[in-house]
Amino acid sequence: MIEEPYRWVEAIATRRDYIEMQLATGSPVVALGYNEGILLLTVGQQKLFEIYDRIALGAIGHPGDIERLRMAAIELASTEGFTRSAADVSLRRLAYYSLSPVMKNAFEQIYGAPFLARLLFVEIGTSPADDLFLEVEYDGAINLRSSDGGNRPFAVLASTKKSAEQMAEFLSKRFQSGKDLPATLDLALDAWTVGQLKTDEAMPGDDEIRRQRSERLGRGTISAAVLERNTNRAVRYRAVEASDLAPLIAK
Amino acid sequence: MDGKQALDFGASSDFPSLLRRQGLFAPAAPIGPMNTRAEIVPTESTTILAFKFSDGVLVAGDRRATSGNTVVYDRADKVLEIDRRSIMAIAGVPATAWEMARVLEHSFQFFRRTQLQEMSVDGKVRALSKLLRDNFGFALQGVGIVVPIFATYDVKASPSARLYFYDAMGAQFEATGSGSPAVRGILYYENTWGKKPLQKISEDEAVVVALRALDTASEADTATGGIDRHAKIFPIMKIVATDGIRTLPAEKIAELFQKSVA
Repeated sequence: MIEEPYRWVEAIATRRDYIEMQLATGSPVVALGYNEGILLLTVGQQKLFEIYDRIALGAIGHPGDIERLRMAAIELASTEGFTRSAADVSLRRLAYYSLSPVMKNAFEQIYGAPFLARLLFVEIGTSPADDLFLEVEYDGAINLRSSDGGNRPFAVLASTKKSAEQMAEFLSKRFQSGKDLPATLDLALDAWTVGQLKTDEAMPGDDEIRRQRSERLGRGTISAAVLERNTNRAVRYRAVEASDLAPLIAK
Repeated sequence: MDGKQALDFGASSDFPSLLRRQGLFAPAAPIGPMNTRAEIVPTESTTILAFKFSDGVLVAGDRRATSGNTVVYDRADKVLEIDRRSIMAIAGVPATAWEMARVLEHSFQFFRRTQLQEMSVDGKVRALSKLLRDNFGFALQGVGIVVPIFATYDVKASPSARLYFYDAMGAQFEATGSGSPAVRGILYYENTWGKKPLQKISEDEAVVVALRALDTASEADTATGGIDRHAKIFPIMKIVATDGIRTLPAEKIAELFQKSVA
């Protein structure tokens, strides 16, 4: 049936709907720059990961697919870092050269299974200007946010396009550069809550966001990780332990 | 970085086998006939030593790198940090030893990243064992013998400070001290008849013991740098403890040297 080109286009469109439906319940991930690095935050099951010295990953999707992509990214970065050097491991190359073609291919081979996953990679540079926020879609599309493109240092990963837009809009109003970690955690939790709201209604006021936030946080565990800029260790990734998290979060 | 290739394989936690699958790391050296003509590198030709003291493990190494009876370099670093709480000190052929240290460092990180937990101390000790075993063929051929010391700190266990020395075949022994015969003698003497057993001495006292031991070793062994009083080259000393690894600043070593050794 798919010998005819329009059938193929139709099959791809159906597949897109199917994947969007599968991803629709995912818990958002927020990445925000702060005065000492970049914070990644989500609520719910573990889906923030260390990929390499300077690269972190947040994901929405099927755990099995996230795992395959995460493993591939770690293997690629580790072999590159071992055979050449840690300085040669580049997020741009990892995404454009390795992950994106494979994901596009899997998406378009309509007799095979696509990756049910949406990924947000973050790479910390020596200065904020070198930081990179890079989203890879299930179809291999890449959305790159770098500061040389005039972007401010934040990125979101949401279950739907509409949610992502809403979170980005919220952050573009609220985000201020150079805040400390507690303030940034606070904003990240607000942004995460915005990502959980119904998208067909107007953005609620601050009080309503706060109310929804405390209601939703009662049901899930916060997981957070940071990429630290100014540390003398090569590994910049650090998971923020729950015990360290509690005192940082404003009630 | 070939994405397709990496995706085809299942999940692995072993970094050396990942490298081998891609042809980036030599397989275990075959155990061929022993090369009787090659000069077997005497492992005493460097002095590294490690012992437990009250706060953790002190690992020290002289700075001299030799080739036959030529001094190639007098500021070599033979005490290598593998991860936040592990140190490998190397005696033997530098190229092989450095490569082993690199593989080990990447292996521990690869394990943590893929498995989402730290490799256990026993796992780390074993990982170095495997590398030495794979290298045994080269050791027999006289081109690449490595005899390391591995010091680490296990925050979950008691006693926390762990120290191992290895033979060239990869057998590991838990140790209280190692190094060349002279150093072994000094550590034994200090531990048994000294004012306090080594496990009870303070950091400053430990540095003094290490300095005196290396100075003694270099007195008779031309391949050990000891302390270069003229050029002010001091041994490298690192300490592994609960909060991680600390490299002792040369100024501090110099000060203790002036006070208690010179």
